[in-house]
Formats: sequence, C-alpha cells, structure tokens
Amino acid sequence: MAKTILAVDDSSSLRQMVAFSLKAAGYNVVEAVDGQDGLEKAKMQAVDLVLTDQNMPKMDGLQLIRTLRTLPEYAKTPILMLTTESSDEMKTKGRAAGANGWLVKPFDPQRLIEVVKKVIG
Amino acid sequence: MTRKKILGSHVKRLLSGVSLHGRRHLTEVETDLLQTELLLEEAIDKLTASFMAVHGAVGARQEAIERLLDGGTPTPEDRALLRSMSGEVGAHVNTAITSMQFQDMTAQLIERTLRRVAGLRDFLGTLSEHGADIAPETDSDEIVERLGKVSMALAIQSLELRSMLRRSVEQKHLESGDVELF
Repeated sequence: MAKTILAVDDSSSLRQMVAFSLKAAGYNVVEAVDGQDGLEKAKMQAVDLVLTDQNMPKMDGLQLIRTLRTLPEYAKTPILMLTTESSDEMKTKGRAAGANGWLVKPFDPQRLIEVVKKVIG
Repeated sequence: MTRKKILGSHVKRLLSGVSLHGRRHLTEVETDLLQTELLLEEAIDKLTASFMAVHGAVGARQEAIERLLDGGTPTPEDRALLRSMSGEVGAHVNTAITSMQFQDMTAQLIERTLRRVAGLRDFLGTLSEHGADIAPETDSDEIVERLGKVSMALAIQSLELRSMLRRSVEQKHLESGDVELF
C-alpha cells in the first residue's frame, strides 16, 4: 500500500510541485496550506511522513512540529523541514523541536524522492 | 546648555534618526529587489532552456514514431533513442520544477519589500503627525519635548518593523539546496 505524505506549505505552487514529484514516485500526498491546517489534517488522517515549510501564517513549521510531537500518534513519525531557511541556528531549533531532517529550497525532485525513500522507504 | 543649543541638538538628533532609519530600510528594500531580479532572471533562463529541451526531445520522439508508423523497421539507434527519451524528458521536467520555485522565494522577498515600504510610510506619517502639533507660537521647551518624543517614537517604530519581518531569503541561485538528515 502506498505511503502517505503530508505536505505543508503556504505557497500553492510549491505544494503542487511537491505533490507532483512525490505522486510520480508512487506516494499519496495530502496538502495543507499552513501549520494549523497541517495539524488538523494530521489529526484526521494518519500519515507516514510530514514535510513542512517553516515560514507560514497562523502556525509556522517549528510550532507544527512541537505540537505534533506532543501527540502520541506522531511521537515517532518522520518530519522533514523543506524551507528557504538555511542557517545553523534554525536547523538547531528544528532538531530540538523534533525534526528528522532539513531540506533547503529550492528542491530537486529526484533528490527529494531519494531522501523520502531513505526515511520511509 | 542654552535653550537654543538644546533645541538644536534635538533637531539634529531627529534629522539624523530619520536619515539613519530611512536609509537602512531603503538599503534593505534595494537588496531584496536586486535579489528578486537575480532569481527572476535565472528562473526565466532556466525555464526557457528546459522548455526548449523538452520541445526538442518530444520532437525527436515524434520523428522516430513517424518512421515506425510509416512501416519502417526500428534501427538500434531508434530503439535506444525511444528508450532514453522518457528519462531525458523527466530530467528536463525536474530542472524546470527546481527553477519554478523562484515564485516561492521571490514572493517572500516581495512581501518583505512591501512591509518595509508600508513601515516607511508609517514612519513618515508619525513624523508628520508630530510636526502638525507644533504651532508657530509653541515655546522652545515644548518643542524640545515634542522632538524628543518623536525621535523616540521613530526609533521604536523602526525596531518594531525590523523585528516583525521574516528573515531574508538567502538563495541567489536556483540550484538544489542542502539536505541534512538528523
């Protein structure tokens, strides 16, 4: 059965490109427009991996990760950040919040798929 | 210090504050606009190249198909060409997807620019409001007090503007970014 990935980003074009790339590799993709929406969708449906942006309205990526990590069903789920932020300071914050990896935009579809495969198979 | 000197030093402080904060914000606006221009230029170049490459690959595939439809026997070159084309088109599409992400980055840069421009407008509005309160007959002590207040208000406004802005986008090229697994 295909694994499901929750893609959270406030840019609709970015979400479309992530979904296009991951669907082509055989994954199901659920899209969310910001951290709040991502949290609601994660609660409604179990996902195998969360791929989230950092800078978003309502709830940013770090807040989303911290909140998801308090939910027993998401305590161990892989969470990757996909963001324009590339500073070591932000990566350290992401790691402390519970992120499993950090991908700096722009992403290359092939490389994204390789990383996702490495993390969830 | 005489009243005249005190007034002069407050006017000087206000003018240098307006100049410093104004120039600092405008420099940031200029930097963000230049970066937006760089990203747009590179995106257009790369997307044009990807589009032309996909067009070329599809055209070559069509020629090979036409030869087969006309009853021709596929040569080893035709077979190799047709087999490699999906991968070739896929690679061009991947490059285009990376390039199309200029929209996400330039949107962030433009949002920062807009916020700074709006902040500068508010900054000038504050200056105008306080200036309007000063009448020709206002005595110098009161003018000094008002100038002190306006200098303070402008400094606070400038700091608030800087703190509410998202970090700047650092990417200057549309190459795939770093990946780090923890």
